[in-house]
Amino acid sequence: MISQTVLVTGLLLMLVGVWGMLTQRNILRIVIGFALMGTGSHIVIVAVGYVAGGTAPIVDGPVTVANAAARAVDPVPSALAVTAIVIGLAVIAVMLAFAIRLYEAKKTLSIDAFADSKW
Amino acid sequence: MVGSLLHPLNIFIVGLGTGFLIPLLNRLGKGWVAAAFLAALAAMTLISAVCAIHLYYGGEPIEILTGGALPPYAINLRMGLAEAFVATGATATALLGAIYVLREKYAVMLLYLILVMGVIGMIATRDLFNLFVFLEIVSIATYGLLSLGSRPEALSASFKFLMATVVASTFFLLGTMLLYAATGILNIDDLIAAREGIAGPIAFAALMLLLGCLLLELKPFPANGWGLDVYETAPGSIAALVASVVSAGVFFALLKLMPLFEDYWVVIAATGAITFVFANLIGLSQTKAQRLLGYSSVGQMGLLYMAAALLHIVDAKAAMPLVIGGLFINHLLAKAGLFWLAGVVSRERLTDWAGLGQHPIVLAGFGILICAIAGLPPFPGFWAKWQYIVSLASHGKFVWIAIALLGSLLEAAYLFRWLALTLHRPAGAKDWKPSRLALLPVFGAGALLALCGYGAARMAGLDADWIFLPLIAGLAIVVLGCVSDPAQRIAAILTVAAGGYWLVQGMTGIGFLFGALFFAGSAALVIASLYRKERRPGFYPFLVVLLLSLQALPRAATGLEFFVLFEFVTLASYFLILRRPEARSAAFSYVLFSLTSGYCLIAGFAVAHAVTGEVSLSALLTAAPESALAFGLLAAGFLIKAGAVGVHVWLPGAYADSDDDLSAILSAVVSKAPIFGLVVAAYATIRSEAMLDLAYAVGCLGMLTTVVGAVLALRQDDIKRMLAYSSMSQLGYIVAAVALMSHLGWVTALYLTANHLAVKGILFLVAAAVVLRTGRRTFSALGGLVKSMPVTFGIALVGVVAMSGLPPFTGFGGKWLLLSAMMEKGWYLPIALGVLATLVGLLYMVRFIRAIFLGPPRGATHTVPEAPWPILTAQAILIAGILIMTFFPKLLIVPISEAIDPAFASTLVWEGMSLELIYGYWNPLPTMAAAVAVSLLLIAALWLVRRRTARLPGTARSANFYDHYQPLLAAVTPPWAVTFWTAVARSTQRLGMLAGRVYTGNGQAYTLTVFYYFVAVYMVCAAISF
Amino acid sequence: MPRAAVIPLLVALGVVFGSVAINYSERTVLPPLAEAYVEMVPRELGAPNVITGILLNYRAFDTLGEVAVLFMVAAGVGLLLGGRAKTDDPDETQRTAAVPPSEIVRHGADILVPLVALFAAYIVVHGHLGPGGGFQGGAVAASCILLLVLAKPEYRVKFAQLSVMESLAGLLIVLLGVAGIVFAGGFLDNRILPLGEFGALFSAGAIPLLSVFLGAKVGCELSVIIGRFRA
Repeated sequence: MISQTVLVTGLLLMLVGVWGMLTQRNILRIVIGFALMGTGSHIVIVAVGYVAGGTAPIVDGPVTVANAAARAVDPVPSALAVTAIVIGLAVIAVMLAFAIRLYEAKKTLSIDAFADSKW
Repeated sequence: MVGSLLHPLNIFIVGLGTGFLIPLLNRLGKGWVAAAFLAALAAMTLISAVCAIHLYYGGEPIEILTGGALPPYAINLRMGLAEAFVATGATATALLGAIYVLREKYAVMLLYLILVMGVIGMIATRDLFNLFVFLEIVSIATYGLLSLGSRPEALSASFKFLMATVVASTFFLLGTMLLYAATGILNIDDLIAAREGIAGPIAFAALMLLLGCLLLELKPFPANGWGLDVYETAPGSIAALVASVVSAGVFFALLKLMPLFEDYWVVIAATGAITFVFANLIGLSQTKAQRLLGYSSVGQMGLLYMAAALLHIVDAKAAMPLVIGGLFINHLLAKAGLFWLAGVVSRERLTDWAGLGQHPIVLAGFGILICAIAGLPPFPGFWAKWQYIVSLASHGKFVWIAIALLGSLLEAAYLFRWLALTLHRPAGAKDWKPSRLALLPVFGAGALLALCGYGAARMAGLDADWIFLPLIAGLAIVVLGCVSDPAQRIAAILTVAAGGYWLVQGMTGIGFLFGALFFAGSAALVIASLYRKERRPGFYPFLVVLLLSLQALPRAATGLEFFVLFEFVTLASYFLILRRPEARSAAFSYVLFSLTSGYCLIAGFAVAHAVTGEVSLSALLTAAPESALAFGLLAAGFLIKAGAVGVHVWLPGAYADSDDDLSAILSAVVSKAPIFGLVVAAYATIRSEAMLDLAYAVGCLGMLTTVVGAVLALRQDDIKRMLAYSSMSQLGYIVAAVALMSHLGWVTALYLTANHLAVKGILFLVAAAVVLRTGRRTFSALGGLVKSMPVTFGIALVGVVAMSGLPPFTGFGGKWLLLSAMMEKGWYLPIALGVLATLVGLLYMVRFIRAIFLGPPRGATHTVPEAPWPILTAQAILIAGILIMTFFPKLLIVPISEAIDPAFASTLVWEGMSLELIYGYWNPLPTMAAAVAVSLLLIAALWLVRRRTARLPGTARSANFYDHYQPLLAAVTPPWAVTFWTAVARSTQRLGMLAGRVYTGNGQAYTLTVFYYFVAVYMVCAAISF
Repeated sequence: MPRAAVIPLLVALGVVFGSVAINYSERTVLPPLAEAYVEMVPRELGAPNVITGILLNYRAFDTLGEVAVLFMVAAGVGLLLGGRAKTDDPDETQRTAAVPPSEIVRHGADILVPLVALFAAYIVVHGHLGPGGGFQGGAVAASCILLLVLAKPEYRVKFAQLSVMESLAGLLIVLLGVAGIVFAGGFLDNRILPLGEFGALFSAGAIPLLSVFLGAKVGCELSVIIGRFRA
């Protein structure tokens, strides 16, 4: 049940992000839409790694080398989530940098002002 | 085993290590950075190339293990032959293009280097999540490099690109994780092994997310506006990198995951097909160089993954290396080269490219790349398309073949229009000097293309190296031209003569007859070209290619060899026609119709190949009755190229607007290539009775061409146009004769071919001499030249008599043979058309003599000198040929008959009539009587028309006998064909502009399209699955 | 973008996502790959934190890719924002000067920066033992710089030094990977040093070392990115 809840949360967050990036005019808000979509996907990653009743896959305290396989949640999605978060951060940083340059070019942040190349 | 220094793992160590080192080196100096950057790229190229060579010679695929554990626990990568080949192409292209970023900031080189490493990672990795990481490495490096375009529109385009690709890579991430949730697997090999078990809604959604991402990254129509904007606005060097190297990585990722999408291959093929056709359709209406290249790029990628998916569907594993590898390397090098060139030229609008042709080096590079992209020999794309068509034809996938050819034709249209634009400099254009170094990568790409083309030719099963002889000879003539102009001329003539003589050796049968004709005609006419005193850049090299290819044509033993030489002929003649600024539009329609003809031929040969399973032309002989389609396609191709009525619109311009001596060569010699092809194709199908109806239709079309050509010829005031239409008319006779499919018909066809070759050569050279001496080329401006050019007059008279079917010269014998052959088969409609055409032909030929040489002299034409000696020499040789044929007909007819006999010896069609029977016993009286009666009727009709128009009030009595018939002639030849083809061209262009309306330039709209594209793919695949 | 065009899309995406969510059932056992990792990491790498073991050994190639991504972002953002001309718009300069950081922020930063830095170091070196590691610690370290940038307008990010450090850390990571080929099982294999006592600070082969390099590199890179945005 926990993982379904988290999964649905992540997916909904992604939809919110999609809504934001497609309906907002301001480039910064669009970037926020992307950030939400990215975060949503990271939550989905964590959700699919959850094993019912499991705990963090760290051999410490109640988790021992012997019972780790029975007690731990799936470490793979967690490991991948680290990578995904870093990449998501990188992408948002680049988007914001472009947003600054776009603002400098046209003194506006409205996406409609940047429909330059056509047909 | 490859030495440990050359282990492919080192690509990543070198790439990342140098990348991390670059900021440190930058503190030492800019030179260090550039040196390390180039060295790293060179090392990566070297490692890839060594791997490729090692694997090509049977080495085992090289596994790259990481983390001290085996897969699936640790990430592994693999260098198989395909990986190593694609990696070598990508790194070599990146290395060539690196020259353009050497002056940029160190960060640019760093991004460039890691991008290339990332592409190799995408190619080699066997872990799904690792693929995502490399995809992101490539994407983020691309974003950084795009910042080099500092104009506002470049920034806007980059942001659109960013939005779309971030969405796509989010799809990939989500897909990977859902697939892991469904299967617990990340290793690609394990996923493929377990693909039967990948089922259920979650796995399906995961696969769709992955497929959606990869398709979107390949920029499918219509969800590709963001990609096109970047191609348009990015610096040429960066656009080149994105279009070639980055696309290579994404494409290979799709190829790698292809087994996972087994149920959806047809969807992949369809998206590729839609992209290929629409991108090229919209490309037609582009006005900016880089945007045009962008459309071409997305189109080529569409073709590439369409081909990959289709080959998976038909399970043609053996064909994949050539088709996919060939199309891939062709696009990679040629598109990178063109983007580089666009960057070097840095003129945004296509029209601003006018005049670049003044730089022969630039022009040569540009021409090579355009020909490569258009899929012409000898470049790899050509062989790949051939193999694609052959592979699909044998599985009956004709629609997919048609799509590939249609898209290719559209693409060739805008590429060749662009090429033609650059040739002639408008007055007042600015001077421009390219730097030699900047052109180096462009030529590097060209050289690599040629090399790969040779390799691809071998893979396609072409083991006759003499096919490339014309190209090599042409290159040699180019080199000689740099040394001395007279030497180039002499060498060209000697090459044509000696090469032709050598090629004719060893030919037999009909091939030998055509070979001898091509040889004689080429050798005679090439002499006439000496009459032009000025330097003619590019003329002799292409002339040598043209004539040597033509003479080599009968030597072709397989459909592929034939087609290659046929395309060489087309290309060389196109470039020759294009040399005159006035001929630009004529050359354009010439190349389009020629390419269409070529596509019909390639499809025809492929179908024949699929039916018989043999490549050899002689194997066509045994083709079964179901090869009707093959014959139909081949006949269509040859008829287009012969200028049959309806598709003749290219012909008058090509023959009349080109150089005067070239017109003679084109009309006299080159026009016989499709005739030869038609005979070969007829050979292919002679045994099948189902073909006879088709043959009758071709025969009627031939005779209709004859009549229409003759009437149009009579309408012309321009000498060369008149001769051009006359050519069309005469070729119609020959086509009809071939279509008779009988012994007598074929004897006639060859006889008429020889006759027309000599006569049209003579008459076009007469026109050349008249234009040279008087500077005029219309009948109304000429007259009375008999006094000043008596020799030319005599020669023209011989030519006209020989052609118009009057005794005693060859035309008479030819016409007689033709009518007899038709009587024999009971083809009464064609006979009637033939008689009509003969009469009209007589009229325009009389006019030719009368208007030019007789009548009152106009202007100062009575003082002009006689024609120059090269023209007279060529004409003398041709007249000698006519005389020999006239007085010793058996010298020609006996070998023809003997060559043809084997084809008919055991057929139902031929009833065994020998040569002696024709001349000795066959009663010509009914034919002659009918001909005379019809002629009398027609003359009476003409006379009536003349009386009526003369009596009309207000009509002054014209000095010109022919003016009376102009209204009548105009009425019987409405310009339907021209109207039709113009409408086709216009509506195609309109359609393209209409489809281009999806590109509004709004980044959000593009992102929305990206999402909808994914949803569409999901829905379609769901419909297939559930 | 008209909302009418977006709503059908959200509905369609909702259907796609819904089909995933409805059909998803919570895992009750680990998939075989995960089970193998949970056993292998403590046994073979001597690291209690399985995630770190995966990240820094079995999937270290991914981690190397991530480092490359951050490295490129720092370079790319530098290209985008580094070389641009200072704006002449008086409004702009006034606005940045008009909002000086408050007293609390300035002094709070003085107190917090050393503590945060210490915390970052802890997270980095304990990556193999508990939650944390190079990325997490690096991010915390970069938050020091962020704090300084926010609190002290006169503070200038030292791009040159950071860039040198970043490059050196990157090179060391690659060299560590190469050392794996020479002294252990392959590229990026961390068992070049003794595994040590399970659960001790100096254990798990070269994983702590790799964590430190990663932490330094990530910290530098994020600081550079923050600095670029400030300019």
